[in-house]
Amino acid sequence: MTGVVEAAGISKWYGEVLGLNGFSASFGPGITGLVGPNGAGKSTLFKLLIGQLHPDQGTLRLLGENPWNNVPVKRRLGYCPEHNTLYGWLTGQQFVEALLRLDGMPRSQAEKAAEDALKLVGLSSAAQRPTRTYSRGMRQRAKLAQALAHRPEILILDEPLSGADPLARVQILRTISEFAKAGGHVLMSTHVLYEIERVTNNIVLINNGKAIASGDIRSIRALIDEHPHAVRLETPQPRQLAQALARMDHIVSLEIPEDEALLVRTRKPDAFYRELPAIVADTRLEVRGLESPDDSLDAVFRYLVG
Amino acid sequence: MASKARTIASTRSSDIWWGDRTGLAEAVRKVWVVTGLTLRYLLGTRRIIAMALLSAVPLILAVGLAAARVASFDVLQLFQAVMVPLFLQVVLIFVTLVNATSLIREEIDDNTLPFLLTRPISKPAIATYKYLGYLAAVLILLVPPLVVAYGVTEAYGGLSFTTDLDVLGGFLLVTVLGSAAYGGLFLFISVLVRKPLAVGLLIGFVWESIVGSIPGDVPKLSVIHYLRTILKGTITVSPLAGYRTDLSVATAVGILIAFSIAMVILTIAVFQQMEFRQKA
Repeated sequence: MTGVVEAAGISKWYGEVLGLNGFSASFGPGITGLVGPNGAGKSTLFKLLIGQLHPDQGTLRLLGENPWNNVPVKRRLGYCPEHNTLYGWLTGQQFVEALLRLDGMPRSQAEKAAEDALKLVGLSSAAQRPTRTYSRGMRQRAKLAQALAHRPEILILDEPLSGADPLARVQILRTISEFAKAGGHVLMSTHVLYEIERVTNNIVLINNGKAIASGDIRSIRALIDEHPHAVRLETPQPRQLAQALARMDHIVSLEIPEDEALLVRTRKPDAFYRELPAIVADTRLEVRGLESPDDSLDAVFRYLVG
Repeated sequence: MASKARTIASTRSSDIWWGDRTGLAEAVRKVWVVTGLTLRYLLGTRRIIAMALLSAVPLILAVGLAAARVASFDVLQLFQAVMVPLFLQVVLIFVTLVNATSLIREEIDDNTLPFLLTRPISKPAIATYKYLGYLAAVLILLVPPLVVAYGVTEAYGGLSFTTDLDVLGGFLLVTVLGSAAYGGLFLFISVLVRKPLAVGLLIGFVWESIVGSIPGDVPKLSVIHYLRTILKGTITVSPLAGYRTDLSVATAVGILIAFSIAMVILTIAVFQQMEFRQKA
């Protein structure tokens, strides 16, 4: 076993529900994207990797070590959970600083490292605000800051772009890329293939608790492009935003499912994600967050698994 | 050659020395951070309003009686007639229950526990330091109102602060030991069941209330029996003079300390093997 992460025949049950089903994969250095629909087993794998769950079968190694109740290996990893709950009664600075002090840093060093990490993710201006006042995008960035502030060898990021606004997405992806360029390893999950494409070509597809494909992203993309991709935008001005987006020639449909939401279906998701920040900036319309429902990816997974 | 060996030996002993010091400093930092976070959570969030009001019941009662100029109001009546059922059986149990059950369970429910569990700190250390933070928090909540209530009562009766120190001492002792014992028990329950508050309410307000009236040695299976034993033995004219117990104060104190430690150890044992499946 020589990879950053080595999983051999990992199974995990939650009672009668199967979380992972004989999952085997080897993740090398650099950025690896773990892509799969909700419920595929991505979070279960991550929880096994950070030692929060214990596998029922199989062997798992993170940086060559068994992660279950392994305290020393935690110095070497940074973890960004999927959920957005932080210690709301702490400011961003206090939140990152407190966690850094658990890594053994003296106060002055932790203070400086927290400031640097918050600056890196673009949260310096909100560092003294309680985290309960943060938007979803700011929470994502605060989670990323605490994950990388102690300069770990590997970052494990569970849906780090979920719910983040377009600008936060750009900032988060840039931070991840810079971390990897500096020699760090990143394992990042998403159910939106196009998000991961911006930072790596190396992906592992997971469905029903099994790794069903791994390798270069381009061959997978070709399959996905045949299916319209759904994106749900949170905005107080859905009609105006729909008008602005209708100019894109790859848009298949635009729906307003709720007062403050817009559901977009596109045949070219990569172009959509590329062009969206510019349109939002030009029209000065507010987009609070965006998410991609699973439907389109599910279709591809059904195709892949026969 | 000898010089080289001496250098190596010197370097090694120096490394060990610095390693130990670094390890100790790091351990102290971890205690400080986890205990501090716990204290801030228990005392710095909105829950403090309800907890402070409940903890202040002795003080509110003392000031209320003094303000109403109740003629026969004295320390014996307040602390001996009212405080045993009110403070010991309601305030102490409720404050310890709410605070102790939230230490780990609320972090699990709020999905914030991964932030601690992915740092180089062991689960036993997290549980222990959180318990220390809890003890500090509940004593900050419970002790000052008790002392001030005692002072107000003595002042109203025209007595000096030191006149009935045995009464104050007895109640302070049961507050500290009761907080430790109930805290350990409720913390243990919180890692065993998903709804610790409901189980804790049953134990705290049903079992602990009725157990005193059960004959034989059954009361020894409650925390309150040992607290009552301590009050009976430490206060000269005890409100519990007629309470049936065959234990000395020292034995009751020893049992409560041992029970608290045992509960924390059991909590650690369960917590160490706990898995945390993310809530949907």
